[in-house]
Order: sequence, then C-alpha cells, then structure tokens
Amino acid sequence: MGKHKFAYYAGCTSAIRIPSYDLSTRNVLNALDIELEDITSLGCCGMYEEQINEMAHLTLAARIMAIAEGLGLDILVICNGCFLSLKKAKLRLADDGLKAKVNEILADFDLEYKGKSEVKHYVQFLYEDYGLEKIKEKIAKPLSLRVAAHYGCHLLKPSEVTGFDDFEEPQSLDKLIEVTGATSIDYMEKKLCCGGYLLGFDSEKTYEMAAIKLRSVKNARADLLVTICPFCNLVYDHNQRLIEAKFNEKFSIPVLHYPQLLGIALGLDFKALGIDQNRVRVNPEIFNSDL
Amino acid sequence: MGLEEILSDVDGKTIMRCMSCGICTGSCPSARVKKEFNPRRILHRVYFGEDIGDEIWYCANCYTCQERCPERIKITDIMNLLKRMYLRDKGYLNFIKAVEENLKNFGYTAQLNEFKNKTRERIGLPRLKSSSEIKLILERANENGQA
Repeated sequence: MGKHKFAYYAGCTSAIRIPSYDLSTRNVLNALDIELEDITSLGCCGMYEEQINEMAHLTLAARIMAIAEGLGLDILVICNGCFLSLKKAKLRLADDGLKAKVNEILADFDLEYKGKSEVKHYVQFLYEDYGLEKIKEKIAKPLSLRVAAHYGCHLLKPSEVTGFDDFEEPQSLDKLIEVTGATSIDYMEKKLCCGGYLLGFDSEKTYEMAAIKLRSVKNARADLLVTICPFCNLVYDHNQRLIEAKFNEKFSIPVLHYPQLLGIALGLDFKALGIDQNRVRVNPEIFNSDL
Repeated sequence: MGLEEILSDVDGKTIMRCMSCGICTGSCPSARVKKEFNPRRILHRVYFGEDIGDEIWYCANCYTCQERCPERIKITDIMNLLKRMYLRDKGYLNFIKAVEENLKNFGYTAQLNEFKNKTRERIGLPRLKSSSEIKLILERANENGQA
C-alpha cells in the first residue's frame, strides 16, 4: 500500500473556535506519515443548513466534495457534524434529479459534483484502514490512565448513513484509546449526547445534559474525557467551569481531543498538540506511566 | 402544519408506521432535561395535523430515537423537516439568523476575524480566508426552495 493522502477538511468549529483540535490532528496525522492537502479554507460543510434549507445543505456539501474530486482525493474530516453532512449529502445525491439541481448551482463556480470522493472521519480511517497494529508500533510513551471515551452522535448515527461501528456497542474509539496503553473505562452515560445543538436555542438545557455526562465520568473515576468532535469538546471543555458554577459542583475533568491523547503517546510535545489551549487544566504529570 | 407535506417527503412518509411504543421518548436526551419535549407526542400531533410550536427546537439532532425505532421511522429526519417548515412559515429564530449572517459574511458558521486568524498563526496553523461563494450559494439555494 502506498502512502495515504487525503484532502483534509477541518470544518468551521475546529478551525475557528477550537484550533487546538485542528492543530493536534494535523500534527498527529503527520507523525503517522499521512499526507494532507488542506481544504479547510473552503468554508462551511452545510451541516447547519439541514434544519434551514435542504437545497443549501446539499449544495454546500457537494461543493466541498466536488473540490476534493478535482484534486483526485478522498476527504478526511475531523468533525462529526461535517462527517454526517457530507455522508448524508452523498447518499441523497445518488438521486440524479437532485444531483442535476445541485450541479446547476455549482456550475456558476465552475464545479461539478460527480460523487467520486469518499468521505472518512479520521477515527474511521485509523481504525479501519491505517490499523491499530501500525499505530502501536509508533507508541513511544505508553500511557497508564483511566480514560472515558465520548463518541458523540454523528460518527455513528444514523447508522444507515454513517455505516461505521455500532452505536449501541461502539468499539473503535475505545480500541484507539487502548492502543496508547490507557484503559478505556465503561461508564453509565457513555452514549449521552453533548446537547450542543441546543446551545443556540436554550443553553441551560445543554448545560444540564452536559452535567449528567460530567457527573457520570467523575463517578467512574476517569482521569480524563476524550472527544472526537469539536462541538462536544466545546461543551465539555470550554463550558465546564460555567457548568460547575451553575450546579455548584466540582468536576475538574480534563477534556482531550483524541489526537492530543495519541500525540502524547507518540512522543509529541504539548505545544504541538495545542494542550496549552485547553480550558480545563491538564496536569502533565498524569502522563508519566511510572507514577 | 400539513400532514400532506410530511407524507410527500421521502423521510416524512415513514411517520405512518408509528405504533406508539414510545422508545423515541424513552431514549431522548432532551426529554430527560425538558419534560415538555416528547418526540412520540410530536409525531402524533403531526399525524393529527396539529400545529408544532417552539418545542421542536429542543431536538438535539442526536438520532438516538431514529436508531432505536423498531419501525425504522426517520424520526430525527422528520424533526429536521419540521424545523425547516417552522422557519419557512413562522420566520427565522434569532440563533438561526446569527448562523446565516456568519455564513454570508465569512463562509463559516463562526465569525472569522483577525483575532481568530492571529490565534491560528500563533499556534502554528495557516490563516483562513473568508469565502464569498457560500453567500452566493445560499442565495441560489433560496431561489430554488427545498430540494
């Protein structure tokens, strides 16, 4: 097998609001010798438009995919929202009539969507294509931590669109965590949604939902929580202090993007992983396996 | 809210299969924190042609209900359809307006300003450009209406 190469698409939230995720993912994929052609500057994947205007969703998603097609590359996304948006549009655009309507708009920008590029989340790529064994060979600093995995929603659901892993009994992220030497622990609210979609409409309910999650992670005595979607991370990391204040509870649970965790095990430094950008303090000593 | 319109939609028509088991509501994370949000009741009200109010926006789009529905009703897809109909018939909510503004001005759902680009540069990431194509696509898509 030749070297893996992708059109790398970070999406809005990772690129603008959570750049530590964009940074750590690029540096970790680079350390794994995966070549990336950056198309993040293209703008939005259309996810949000699904609840506003379906034609806008499909056209924005098709635009990203058409540009990757032009490069002759498959797309690697790092956001669960981008993953579902592009995968769903791809499925709907198998309908020739709909595809023609979308292409009529894209023609204004000298683009045509054909549907040739595949869309992968890096978790799917690492788990299914790159392989756990190959990652294991590169682990320089094995970790001994108790980690709570948070898959979020749109990597797994709806399964007829995502076609990946199993929502009720997911394994991919747990195995990717364990390859670092850490233990992926079981906890009651593992499958609970972050509630990020409600932030704009009634943020109190997002915080309430997130508090249930953080409480469960704390009760399970996890050292940290790992996310693979920038929006989930925004809820649990950026808003954790606010949630603590609202419920008069102390969680103090560091929230790492999966590439930050893997990056530490690969021997990358904190700076290359953007860990100084995390809101909940990450104590570097927890990564010393000899403790 | 027209049942006819729901039934003419590829996902919407699956609503006919509901046998009222309630696994959607039982699985719903929003229902846990907002008792008034009840997906099964929303499906029933749609079926009886009743109006759906603001509570539709409590759907967190998590797809757990759709995943667990024994009749494979496209419940979350129906919630998205109801949200689109809501915005068309009742006008945009403030948080939707804000997202639309960002998309038109920057090409992203979030505000892209010099501060954000400086942060990216400082940690070692390339700058981002605003995309004006997104605005033009949204205008064209709005002329076209729903898919």
